[in-house]
Amino acid sequence: MQRYILDNNKNTNVDDFQVRDGLIQKIKSRFHTYGYKQVRTSTFESYDMYSDVAGTVNREEMIKVIDSSGHVLVLRPDVTIPLTRTTALNLSVPNSYQRLFYVLDVFRQSEEQVNQKESTQAGVECFGENSPEVDAELIMLSIHTLKDLGFNNFKIEIGHAGFFKELIKQTKLSHQELDVLLSYVQSKNIAEMTPYLQKLSIDEKVQSAIVSIPLLYGKPDEVIKQAKSIILNKKMEEILQNLTDVFSILQDFGVEDAVNFNFGLINNMDYYSGVIFQGFVDSIGKPVLMGGRYDHLSEQFGHSLPAIGFAFEVDLLIHALIQQGLTTNQSKPIDFTIQYTKQKQKEALHLAYQLRDKGYTVLIDTKAAALNNSGASCVIRYEETQNTVKIDNKEQVFSNSIELLSLIEKGDT
Amino acid sequence: MEQITLALAKGRPASSTIKLLEETGEHFSELHEDSRKLVFYNEDKTIKVIFVKALDVPTYVEKGAADIGIVGKDNILESQADVYELLDLKIGKCMFAVAGKPGQKVDSNQKLTIATKYPNVAKKHFKKKGQDIETVKLNGSVELAPLIGLSDFIVDIVETGSTLKENGLVVLEEMDYISTRLIVNKASFATKSAEVQNFINQLKSAME
Repeated sequence: MQRYILDNNKNTNVDDFQVRDGLIQKIKSRFHTYGYKQVRTSTFESYDMYSDVAGTVNREEMIKVIDSSGHVLVLRPDVTIPLTRTTALNLSVPNSYQRLFYVLDVFRQSEEQVNQKESTQAGVECFGENSPEVDAELIMLSIHTLKDLGFNNFKIEIGHAGFFKELIKQTKLSHQELDVLLSYVQSKNIAEMTPYLQKLSIDEKVQSAIVSIPLLYGKPDEVIKQAKSIILNKKMEEILQNLTDVFSILQDFGVEDAVNFNFGLINNMDYYSGVIFQGFVDSIGKPVLMGGRYDHLSEQFGHSLPAIGFAFEVDLLIHALIQQGLTTNQSKPIDFTIQYTKQKQKEALHLAYQLRDKGYTVLIDTKAAALNNSGASCVIRYEETQNTVKIDNKEQVFSNSIELLSLIEKGDT
Repeated sequence: MEQITLALAKGRPASSTIKLLEETGEHFSELHEDSRKLVFYNEDKTIKVIFVKALDVPTYVEKGAADIGIVGKDNILESQADVYELLDLKIGKCMFAVAGKPGQKVDSNQKLTIATKYPNVAKKHFKKKGQDIETVKLNGSVELAPLIGLSDFIVDIVETGSTLKENGLVVLEEMDYISTRLIVNKASFATKSAEVQNFINQLKSAME
């Protein structure tokens, strides 16, 4: 027999799925309580849309499909872009809020992780206004959800796309030089960044400001104080004020201990326009959630629509939960088993219907062996001579279903 | 204080790193380079040291199996791990280089074959130059490859150049500067900030 090695055989057994579903349910109900409504986007998207929208998904990472008419499609590599597009195009009342969330699979391929082509994202997008209140509430939602999942040691790192961008504007770096600089900032590699900057002809004040960016990390109060000393213009001052405002709202939410500021957080700078944040849990090297403000994305679809959002990496969250022993058995227990002889089939089936109608989980069979080890709290037997029910190890005889149901209700109370 | 896990590279670079650790004032009993043990603790058990293969150190740190790692830049570059690189410990200095027979020219219109222990580093270097290459991954005695016609050139770390010289090879192109670095897991930096910063500061003052 030919053995097939499948790409993605993770979390496909019954227990794993219960853990996954339990986690998704928790996330969904938390998103609901902040007024978000669930939506879905199409699995197939236009390749052209993704390649036209600047600064988003790497073209090589998308999984392409050609349909019968020769159009190139991609398997949904991201949810935010199609969601922004439909929201921008369908906005009936300008400036009205749209709070949307999704739990969807996204598809990407990369050289480093050939076997990881699909992953599940659970995310929210808030369209309508750019204000510190909206930003802070969204960050609060991410913290609240992580708490729901049982994580006790996690941190949300907050930065701003504009702060570093303003510094770069003061220089005349080429694309390649900027790429090198970005990789130094992202790995906080000051040892190599300092000599590299000295080689380039950059104003000394700007240079020392850039060098201090990776060090602007830690408790928000302290970072804000340090950041004041490298402000070069009005724009940077406004950005710092914006971050200060966001933090003071988070303080009033009572979650200041869950956040750090990280000015070296500069991934996807072309895409994000304001606050950027990511969340880490213990021992997982990659962020379990990422998000930020992306006010300019909708402009690529001809509309202006301020927006902010974030997404959880569901697979990483599951991995973290398992690693930290935080998974609980989510599967619903069996309430009843009914074993019957053929002569009493009609009675037994009717009872099973009644119980299931009331919302109980019922297993039914003619053979006792099929019902063993079900873990049911209540065992019902229809035998030729008598009917018995065993509730909490106490066996009783009953004549019809009405009598049985009253026995069960007594047992429940 | 939460415990932090420190991954060190087994073998050659271990001795100078151990010396540096001793200078921080933390005492690790039984910790020396010849020990067969792979796990050590300091006296109050706030630091756990694990010994792993050098190339694995960045992986341990990236995946969170260790919070901090001390390892050569060569291994960081090769593993392409997404970690913070916070300190240059200025030990184990050397560099990456393209080497070959004297007089050979590296630039060519044709596809070149490069023998190396560091295929990712080699690919990245030649991609930047727009040169098409094929890599042959070897695990040792890389200098032999051009001599017996297995490859056109090699990419390897060069310390003094004496191994190259003895095999009739010369450095044709210098690449990245290498030394021992301190790397940190991005989640640990966020969730164990105080412990990690504390250790880094200890190490910094030991270096002065």
